Amino acid sequence: MAVSWLHRLAGLTPVPVFPALGMGGDVVLRRLAQATNIELVGSPRHASVLLVAGGVQPDLLEALRRVHDQLPWPSSSLWFRCEPLPELEDATRIDDIEALPGALAAIHRELLLQRRGSSPRLLPDNPPNPWEGLGDDGHGGEGMMGGVPYGRPMAMNMHDDIRDGLTLDSLTFRIGPFFPAFPPGMSAEVTVQGDLVQSWTTQSLPHLVALDPVFHDARQRSVPIARLELARVRYHLHRLFHGLRLAGWESAALHVLHLAMRLTSDSRADALRRRLERYGFFYLAALDGGVLEVEQARRVGGPASRAAGLDDDLRSEDANYQRLGFSPVFHNAGDTRARWQQILAEIEQSLQLAKQAAREDLHTQNSVAIETPRGPWSDERCPTDASRLLDEIIPGLEWDSALATIASLDIAALSDWPLVEDKPLTRSEERSS
Amino acid sequence: MELLTLFIILLFALGAGWLVQWLPQRHSSMPTYPQRAPFLGGGSPDTHAWNRYHVRYYPMTLLLIAFEMEMMFMYPWAVVYVEEGLKAVMEMGMFLAILSVGIVYAWREGVFKWQ
Amino acid sequence: MILNEMVLPIIVVLAVLVGGAYSVAVMDRVIATRLGAPRAGNPWLSPLTRGAWLLVQQANVTEAPDGRAWRLAPALYLALAATGLALVPWSETLVATDLATSVVLWGSVEALATVVIFLHGWSANAPLALIGAYRYVALGLSYLLISMFVLIGVALPAESLQLTQVVMSQEGLWNVVRQPLGLPLFLVVGLGMTFWGPLNLADSTDLAGGTASEVSGPPRLVWDVARAAMLVAFSGIAASAFLGGWLGPWLSGPLWMVVKMLAVLAVLLWLGRVVPRVAPERCVTGMWVVLLPLAFVDLIWAGVAALWQ
Repeated sequence: MAVSWLHRLAGLTPVPVFPALGMGGDVVLRRLAQATNIELVGSPRHASVLLVAGGVQPDLLEALRRVHDQLPWPSSSLWFRCEPLPELEDATRIDDIEALPGALAAIHRELLLQRRGSSPRLLPDNPPNPWEGLGDDGHGGEGMMGGVPYGRPMAMNMHDDIRDGLTLDSLTFRIGPFFPAFPPGMSAEVTVQGDLVQSWTTQSLPHLVALDPVFHDARQRSVPIARLELARVRYHLHRLFHGLRLAGWESAALHVLHLAMRLTSDSRADALRRRLERYGFFYLAALDGGVLEVEQARRVGGPASRAAGLDDDLRSEDANYQRLGFSPVFHNAGDTRARWQQILAEIEQSLQLAKQAAREDLHTQNSVAIETPRGPWSDERCPTDASRLLDEIIPGLEWDSALATIASLDIAALSDWPLVEDKPLTRSEERSS
Repeated sequence: MELLTLFIILLFALGAGWLVQWLPQRHSSMPTYPQRAPFLGGGSPDTHAWNRYHVRYYPMTLLLIAFEMEMMFMYPWAVVYVEEGLKAVMEMGMFLAILSVGIVYAWREGVFKWQ
Repeated sequence: MILNEMVLPIIVVLAVLVGGAYSVAVMDRVIATRLGAPRAGNPWLSPLTRGAWLLVQQANVTEAPDGRAWRLAPALYLALAATGLALVPWSETLVATDLATSVVLWGSVEALATVVIFLHGWSANAPLALIGAYRYVALGLSYLLISMFVLIGVALPAESLQLTQVVMSQEGLWNVVRQPLGLPLFLVVGLGMTFWGPLNLADSTDLAGGTASEVSGPPRLVWDVARAAMLVAFSGIAASAFLGGWLGPWLSGPLWMVVKMLAVLAVLLWLGRVVPRVAPERCVTGMWVVLLPLAFVDLIWAGVAALWQ
């Protein structure tokens, strides 16, 4: 059949891309958010191309196959700095981030002009459980409710609600590791009643978080404070970008991204603060939950601990930071709102420090123990994974505040490898990380 | 006549909405089971999603019913309001004042929070 | 006669339904670009290409959906938008359904919208869609009263529940000036009805698209169009109730309506992009504790103003 005009027209849309993020894959979000012909979507049902970005651990491949099969036709996949699944023979791999938007657009166009077939389905076409059998509708059980109609049992697991003790059905499901609102790689088994989380068990840990190379250098030798602080600001801005996207606030998220892209020691965050405050981010969004006790906050470290009232920051032990008059900022509430306020305050403080340090050309003095944006880092103490903490603090939260809490917490462990924004990972690095 | 027009418009919109969904893909086959599983970022559910739901805002819905009843009286009231003059203001003012106390009470009781 | 009273209004309503949804898509894109979103290509073409893509994409099915209800919900939402548009008077005579109780009928459209949106999430039989539906009901039941009080407010000076009468009562002074609280409160209702921007609790990002998270292809197209059309219907009602409808110098009545509706749409779409999503509990509390009392104030204000005239 000749390609219809409808298909031609459809080929002109911005490419709807569902990103499945592997190790170090979150760079593509920031690149594609600024691309003009890409639309990042939250559900594979809304996508035409599945973009697998960064290495995927073998134990997550089954989940990746499930997501892959959930894209309606016409759909295909693109693999960025990652080996395609062996079943997908003609899948494309690409390593150059600058070529990524173009490659995605090409796949989308080829799909719609029917020069490329849809990806084959990877999983066998079977219901999750066999359900032919007994019962009026062959659902496999007896009476109205038993058995597994369409392959699954009905929700009849009565639980006492944790807020008011009402005994009603609850839903248990595993969610992640490719759920776009989660930190990449994290998955959990969740039980909800209504939209309230009843229980939460973290199952796979979020991918290691990589820092700007300047932090790795700072552990070896003295580095310019201005560079270090700007890298810190960029890190925080990237996290704020995710938080604002989750809050359904695309325009502010892009504002943050633009700031991060054009960061110099003269940058200021005043406009950002004004925007967040004026349009009610701290007041309207779901920022009430996720209060950390002091002990829990210490386990996370970094800004999260300072948002809970602890004022430990290794920068105060550095002689040149003292010369700049550094003293840690902190908030006391320890909830999600306090954490974002803390992040914003630290962004402003770091910009201030960078400006002063650039003027006086100051370098760090202490390279034994440094304060990374993720937390204190020395030979004895390295930011470790704190995602088990979620098992304690998420139950009892409404879904929106649960996800806002997760976004505000930086819980992944620190990677041994520095962040690669432009240079592709070599195969050996991919395997070891 | 008016209602006939409305009915025709309703029918058109409903029909178009249904036709656009049905017509383009009336011959396509059922998606595979893995595709039909609910999207959970690669995870899977234990059960179907339909369940006896915990409606956490149900006290709010009861409060709504109290007000909805009042709305029934307000429609005719609005039409005769100017004729009746000040009397109508007083009556409705009292009515609203009583209901406002109800809202304040409900607020204090945490009705607008998820129970 | 039948041509003037029936065929013409039907054509007008259906044309505005389609054209309005299209212009919502165009305007939203232009506003997004102005606010810094990187979008290339022609904004006039982009709704068409997107529509074409959704038409050729496979319509997804879930494991055991309530199939008929799932397909009915978008169509019904569109039909509700059409009903709302049928009530909008374009001039003194050009109005599809000029009921004596058109304000009440609009109220029922608002109430049924909640049902339809819940149905859309429930019938998919998927956890995230269900949470979206569940949350939306809380919102839907909260904005309903605000809308009612505000609309009763505009009925007072008109001494009628008929929208044409409401428009004519604004001959001297528009309601937006006479009852200054009315339009801002009503705009919140508009965002709620179409779960747009800050009040998008149904199809939100934290639910990977909420009630629409399992929907693809043509059903999604109908859902998106219906949502935009509902926004248009809402702007028509808002323009009639607060901005003097077809009244205005120089231009003809229908043209004035188009201009006023576009102005309302522009404000709504801008609001939709500059405010973050409101947390569900905060939304319900805010509507009952802040906005509803403000609606009372608006009603009393409207009442006093109507008597004083």
